Amino acid sequence: MGGAAAALDYDAELMLRVKEGDGASFGLLLEKHRSAVIHFLYRMVQNHAVAEELAQEVFLRVYRSRSTYEPTAKFTTWLFRIATHLALNALRDGKNERGQESLDGSVAELPVRQISDAAPTVEQSMVYRARLEEVRRAVSLLPEKQRAAVLMHKYEEMEYSQIAKVLGCSESAVKSLLFRAYETLRARLAHMA
Amino acid sequence: MRCPIETEEHAETLLAYCANRLDPAQAAALERHMRSCAACRSFQEAQQTVWEALDTWEAPPVPADFDRRLYQRIEAEGYTWWQRLFQPFRPVLLRQGLPLAAAACLLVMAGIIAQRPGERRPAPAPPAVRVESVQAEQVERTLDDLELLHQFTEATGVEKHSPDSM
Repeated sequence: MGGAAAALDYDAELMLRVKEGDGASFGLLLEKHRSAVIHFLYRMVQNHAVAEELAQEVFLRVYRSRSTYEPTAKFTTWLFRIATHLALNALRDGKNERGQESLDGSVAELPVRQISDAAPTVEQSMVYRARLEEVRRAVSLLPEKQRAAVLMHKYEEMEYSQIAKVLGCSESAVKSLLFRAYETLRARLAHMA
Repeated sequence: MRCPIETEEHAETLLAYCANRLDPAQAAALERHMRSCAACRSFQEAQQTVWEALDTWEAPPVPADFDRRLYQRIEAEGYTWWQRLFQPFRPVLLRQGLPLAAAACLLVMAGIIAQRPGERRPAPAPPAVRVESVQAEQVERTLDDLELLHQFTEATGVEKHSPDSM
C-alpha cells in the first residue's frame, strides 16, 4: 500500500500542477495512464476505433476539469470513473455494435502470443485465436457492471474499495459483482482447462 | 483453517489466492486446507483456468498518433469560434501568409509615401507656361535666323532653276 499511497500523491500532485497551468505535467499523466485507459476501454467495448475515441474523450475531460480538480480521491479512481462512465454510455448507445458484429474478423488483427522461441505453427495460431475468441465472447456476454468490475480487478489490479468508488457502489456490492461474474466465466470457460 | 467455501469470505479468499493477492501466511494456510478439501481445490482449479484464459487476452498497442490527436483537440478547444473557423486553413496561412503579409505591407507603405505632400513631384508644366518664360531677344534672334534661312533658300532656288547659271 505504500507504493499506492506514493502513486496517489504523485498523480494528484501532477494534476495540481496541471491546474496551475503546467502542460508538461499533463503529458506525464498521459504517458503514465494512456495504455491502461485504452486497454480497459478496448476490453469494455471490444472495438478499436470506439475505444480510441472514448480514451481521447477521457483525457480531454481530465484536461477540461483541471481548474476545478480537487485531490479528494486517488487520481486513477477519478480517471477510471470517467472511463467507465463513458464506456457504459457507449455500450447503452450501441456505439460498439460494429465491433460486436465483426468480432470474428477483428481477432485476426491481434498479435499472436508467442509462447516458445520458435514461431507458432498454423495450428497453434488457430488454437490461440479460437481460445481468444472464446474469452472475448465470454467477457462480452457479462452484464456491463460485472464486466467493468472484472476488467478493473483482473487487468488493473484494483482493490475492492477502489472498484467500489469507480462504480459508485459499496465494497460488498463489488464482491458480489465479482463473485457472480467469475462464476459465469468459470462455467463458460471450464472446457479450456 | 475453516473451509472458505463454508464461510461468507470464501469467494474473496479464493479469488485473492488465484490473483496472488493473499499474503504468504494466508496462502500457505489455504494450500494446506486445499490438500484435504476437494470442493476448495475444484473451485481454485476452475478459477485458475479463468485467470489464465484472461491472461491470453492482450489489448492492441496504443496508436502512434494518439497524443498528437489529443493535443490537437485540446488546442482547438482554446480557440474562439472564428479561430476555429480558420483552423483548417492554418497550415496554408502559416506557409503563405508571411510572404502575402510582407507584400501587403510594401503596398501600403508605397501608397503612404506617394501620398505625402512634402515629397510630391511637380507636375510637368503646360507648354503655354514655357512660352511665357521665353525672352524677347530669343524671339528676335529666331526671327532673324528664319529670315536668313528664307533668303538663302530663295538664292539657292534661283541658281538651281536658271539655265544661264550653268
